[in-house]
Amino acid sequence: MPPRLPPTCSAQGIRCLKNVVITAQEPKTAAGRLLWRSSRAPFSSSASVSASDPRQQTTPEQEDFYKWCEFEAPKYAYKKQGDPPGPVYPRPPGGRGGAGETNKLRPFPQNPEFISQPVLSEAARDSIWKDVMERGLPIKAVSARRNVDMLRVAAVIRMKAIEKQWAAEGKELAEKYSDTMLNMLPVHHLEDTEEPFEPINEVYVHSKTQQQLFVPTSESRHFTRVDAAKAFGEKVLPPDQKIRIPELIGFEKELADGVDGKEARVNFLRETSTNEKELAAKMARRAQNDESKRMRLKSGRFEFRIENVNADAVGKNGRSRLATGWRYGVPHGDRRRGAVKIPTKVE
Amino acid sequence: MRHRRLARYYDLARPRLRLTWNKKNLYNIVNYRLPRLTSKTFFQQKWLAKAATRGYHGEHVKESQWERMFSRRIRSVVNMEPAYMAQHDGSEHAEGRGSGKIRSLEENPRSQTPHMQMTFAPLERRLDIAIFRAMFASSARQARQFVIHGAVKVNGKKMIYPGYLLNPGDMFQVDIDKVLYATGKPKRQDLKTPPQESEEGEEVIEEEAVEETAVEGVEGEEAVAEGEASTEEDIETLKKIRAAVKAYYKANREQSSAKQKVALRAILKESKAALAAAAKADANVGTVPYYVDKLTDLVGKLKLNSETQEEDKQASEEIHRALQEVPETLAKTPNQIKPYLVPWRPREFLPAFAFIPRYLEVNQKICAAVYLRHPVAREGMAEVPTPFPRIISQLAFNWYLRRG
Repeated sequence: MPPRLPPTCSAQGIRCLKNVVITAQEPKTAAGRLLWRSSRAPFSSSASVSASDPRQQTTPEQEDFYKWCEFEAPKYAYKKQGDPPGPVYPRPPGGRGGAGETNKLRPFPQNPEFISQPVLSEAARDSIWKDVMERGLPIKAVSARRNVDMLRVAAVIRMKAIEKQWAAEGKELAEKYSDTMLNMLPVHHLEDTEEPFEPINEVYVHSKTQQQLFVPTSESRHFTRVDAAKAFGEKVLPPDQKIRIPELIGFEKELADGVDGKEARVNFLRETSTNEKELAAKMARRAQNDESKRMRLKSGRFEFRIENVNADAVGKNGRSRLATGWRYGVPHGDRRRGAVKIPTKVE
Repeated sequence: MRHRRLARYYDLARPRLRLTWNKKNLYNIVNYRLPRLTSKTFFQQKWLAKAATRGYHGEHVKESQWERMFSRRIRSVVNMEPAYMAQHDGSEHAEGRGSGKIRSLEENPRSQTPHMQMTFAPLERRLDIAIFRAMFASSARQARQFVIHGAVKVNGKKMIYPGYLLNPGDMFQVDIDKVLYATGKPKRQDLKTPPQESEEGEEVIEEEAVEETAVEGVEGEEAVAEGEASTEEDIETLKKIRAAVKAYYKANREQSSAKQKVALRAILKESKAALAAAAKADANVGTVPYYVDKLTDLVGKLKLNSETQEEDKQASEEIHRALQEVPETLAKTPNQIKPYLVPWRPREFLPAFAFIPRYLEVNQKICAAVYLRHPVAREGMAEVPTPFPRIISQLAFNWYLRRG
């Protein structure tokens, strides 16, 4: 059992305890033995009281820790029902922050640059599911309406589908765990009164644009984002094409031109819907094309999939990784020491 | 892979921050102070920063492995406003004397993008660390163990490599039982809590203990009563199931696929164990319901060729019917075999560690998460969770740059 300090000691008293031994109260265990004392006592000039076994000495760090366990640690314990929900993060040293809402959401007191951002609540996930699966809205439109990234919308639906399937199968879900975690985490309900959930038009910084570039042009030239992208590199796209929902620019243009908000929204919906359908059709065509090149043979136990392979497609130097089969003079290297055999993708 | 944990994993004298929810770790995070750097050489500063950060970020990953993963390219994003883009085509940046019109800082407040806090971003791609970040395990090491023990699926397929690097869009699932074990209070918590000397503390603990024992006591008594009453019934139903499955297995051995045969054999094995457990049910009350749960699960998964042949259909129906006859009260008895305290309650100090970074989208009900994209830095914020201040991360980044 860890040694404990008497409850009457104030938090300010922790430091002085290292060298000074309090004799006023001597907490005793059931066995009646003293369990706490200063480890520095034998080496310091201050007096020491010790009736305990020398092996039970504690270091000053341990004493501080036990003190903390007693007085500070209970703050971080899981709250009982009825307490306000949300996380309890340690406060930054010196009382900096801790007052404002944003400061509360920093889990690491020394790192103000990491912010614990809210997660979607159960109701928010349900509403996303309803929008996409029941009302049939395009994902882009839902993302723009709710300020939730498209990837996240897709992920929510993907996992919600599994959840519903499990519920239909009667498989047990981790309801209690889910409730507790969502009660503990900062949560966003996707309501209009709240701050937008996340920025949805973020563009990755292209590595080619991280260097300063001098492009001589005439003063009269109208140099736009598209020209800038071209100047950085042939394959660098302008942000107008790189943002996830480029249709939003057209929507905003219509609004700026004085088109009625309702009409602009309808146009936006139509455009996103057609684009999404086109993309789906394109992907289906590609899958069909791949499938047409493949022959499937079912035996009792296995399914054989047979494809045509060009044995001469071995790259420039005959060592292309995509080449098929063993080639004379090209070692496989799959048994070399330290070769990584962990799969790089799972489909 | 450095498998064994260091002896002084949570050292109070020389604290090292770790990727865990441990109480000592929380204490060390709370009391972490920036080390004194001014009196040290640049090399010493970098060494110190590297040692501190690596103790937290993937401490179980070999240094050479991490060095291979390290990338000097840092991902960052900029938010583009469609409303602004609709009104400007970019030429406004050449206004005035050629470098755009000067805007006051108040109009355009800019904060820095903390690129250096992204030093350990490549490690966040690892499956074990992502599981910890999704709050499915209490430490990265535990997450690693879950993966190795086959409790984790990636895109629906079992993945046994904790070093698997997640690709954007990958979904990983962890066994619900494992998650509840990792995040729940341990069994016999009452025995582990040391007696407290403060009067208030005593009261609280006593109350809790009374509640706990009351709850457990009631459940236990019920279970005992049911166990005594229904043991013979259980044995009968279990025997029925076993007979049905055995008959089916014998008749359809030739036609069944390998998977079906494996499933059938598993049922036979479990039912045998269940019968053995039921025979001495008075010794351990929880065992029979446990096996019944397991059998129900196995039979639920079993897919027989019921569409093709009528005999099979009958057999399959028979098995299911036999299972339905398992007394409801018995099936509902709380499972005593679970490795965590039942009913489940969260472990201590969880609220201090409760955050989920935005590059993950988690569904807690099915204990699954999607790795949406790689972590990025944006204005005023870096997505890699690290307890260290920017200067330490920067020094660590510089340490690893030397082999760039």
